[in-house]
Amino acid sequence: MISLLEAQHVSRVFHSGLLNKGHTLAVDGVSLIINEEKPSITAIAGESGSGKTTLARLLLGVIQPTSGSILYRGQNLAAMDRPTRKEFRRQVQAIFQDPYEAYNPVYKVDQVLTTPVYKFGLVHSREEAHERIEQSLRMAGLRPEETLGRYPHQLSGGRRQRIMVARALLLNPRIILADEPVSMVDASLRATILESLVKLKREFGISFIYITHDLTTAYQVSQNIYVLYRGSVAEVGGVEKVIKQPKHPYTRLLVSSIPLPDPDKHWGGESEIESKASAPGAPQAELIGCKFSNRCPYVMAECQQTAPPLYLTDDNRAVACYLHKSGAQISGKEMAELLANL
Amino acid sequence: MAGDRSQEAKAPVLEVRNLRVSYTTAAGPLRAVNGVSFYLWPGERLGLVGESGSGKTTTALSLMRLMQDTTVVEGGEVLLDGVDLLKLSEEEMRQARFAKISLIPQGAMNSLNPMMKVGEQLRDTIRAHQPKGNSKATIDARIQQVLESVELRLNVMDSYPHELSGGMKQRVCIAMSILLNPKVIIADEPTSALDVVVQRQVMETLRRVQVALGAAVILVGHDMGLMAQFVDRIGVMYGGKLVEVGPVRGIFKDPLHPYTQLLIKSLPNLDMKDVFRGIPGLTPSLLTPPPGCMFHPRCPQVIQRCSVDIPKFVEIKPERWAACHLCEGGRQ
Repeated sequence: MISLLEAQHVSRVFHSGLLNKGHTLAVDGVSLIINEEKPSITAIAGESGSGKTTLARLLLGVIQPTSGSILYRGQNLAAMDRPTRKEFRRQVQAIFQDPYEAYNPVYKVDQVLTTPVYKFGLVHSREEAHERIEQSLRMAGLRPEETLGRYPHQLSGGRRQRIMVARALLLNPRIILADEPVSMVDASLRATILESLVKLKREFGISFIYITHDLTTAYQVSQNIYVLYRGSVAEVGGVEKVIKQPKHPYTRLLVSSIPLPDPDKHWGGESEIESKASAPGAPQAELIGCKFSNRCPYVMAECQQTAPPLYLTDDNRAVACYLHKSGAQISGKEMAELLANL
Repeated sequence: MAGDRSQEAKAPVLEVRNLRVSYTTAAGPLRAVNGVSFYLWPGERLGLVGESGSGKTTTALSLMRLMQDTTVVEGGEVLLDGVDLLKLSEEEMRQARFAKISLIPQGAMNSLNPMMKVGEQLRDTIRAHQPKGNSKATIDARIQQVLESVELRLNVMDSYPHELSGGMKQRVCIAMSILLNPKVIIADEPTSALDVVVQRQVMETLRRVQVALGAAVILVGHDMGLMAQFVDRIGVMYGGKLVEVGPVRGIFKDPLHPYTQLLIKSLPNLDMKDVFRGIPGLTPSLLTPPPGCMFHPRCPQVIQRCSVDIPKFVEIKPERWAACHLCEGGRQ
């Protein structure tokens, strides 16, 4: 395995208030590996406050970890020389949630496409730039003649989001981080955009990190999933296992809360968990032990003493929960390696 | 369920007839709601679904007569217990809001006054409608009763909105919407900003208080999953029109209109991986709508007639309404 992008036990603390009185552990010791040799789509799922977007920003090098490190092809982002950093910024691209905010409304959409092409010096002539832009628009499922020369407001949200996909593709990236790419797009277009991600993986070998709160689309597009709860990995593994047979009480609560588009599959099958797992309480800075223990219907004494490590419950799934301590204990890094090699 | 409702309740609590609403824009009038008709039985939960620009929110806000100055109701009737809300004076309409028809607005979390304690905002709602004869004690007794029914502690009355979580603020909005026992509650994407777990809890609370009150609910949104879990009947909107209305199970099992069929096929579920069925094409421009059926440029089953005649919204079979030439032609 060649590790393309790797998070090694990264944590990130945000300080707030005067004199750093308050602090929030947004990401807490997360490890993740994307294998360069096997293109994959890896989902990072969680609710608001789970740290999924902070993890994405750490992986992009936009913010620095408080501890742990982010490695690009084995090199620490924090200690990278300029040429390698430029290479990293070309090969690791991002698509964000809001296809409206990414544009300058007074410029034609062409601008978001031409800027990166020239900035990275990928072309030698105007014609070459144009060709490259048209090619990536087509890869993203857009017709160049219907797209170029327009202003952002003349295009639908779905098309604007696809231009963002095209923009990411321009630079021939190896990996794209997609942070809630469809949450603001209409239902009829959602499927088309997700389909283009899967196609790009299949046809061009681009890996994706798909960051979402929506377990249904995570299930649809990805092979592996990391479920985050308050900055820590609660459950990690193949999507079939994690979403179809969730084991962590938090994942079970999440899965049973999905409003399925079927009136006969009633919401909240897991009534036992439902009734006891209350709504998230006030944020606690210092919760000792398992972070879910104050909501967990199965809470035991040990849960409130030490945070549970990951236990391997299946050949491709691990759960950070003492209910599953019959499984072999596994470190986050080992688990990330295991999944990257599958 | 919804099927035999017509026997138990003879008259609908709300009937909307041929509602037409347009926006004044620099490029001319934009017909956001174009001839929408539906009824709502007492105690029923009706979903209005559609993509952005389909007219669902404009329809909902027009029922409350809460529109911006650039919005013009061009015609139609909104009959609440036989009284046309569109004909009421401003003052009469103000009295009807919350007392007869109430709203849980989109992004309700931001609709509370940040400078005012929650209890005071709730008291205001009562006082605005019943200026006389209510002591503070009776008002607070009612508020406490309602807060309990939405599972909030009474101490939220002394809290400012920013001190509450998103789910709690949403519950305050639900409490406010039921304070005066309205017959109809309009919930406009009430949980779109909430996480799934909280969303489910809030929706269950809404359902419980609605059933207890016997009020009807119109749930406006784009999430078909939420509709499947919450409503009795669904109305599907496209390009400012209702294209299909029917009981929730019928709509999901046997959608009549091609748009509904594609919409339901496009939904992600947990039974299929790597299968994507988007709807090709784009939503129509309401400034220059296509002739004939609004959906015909995207419709895979389009026939020649579709680009010429506007299909009528008719009852195809009991309780199942659709506006499509194929259905009229007896495809069933």
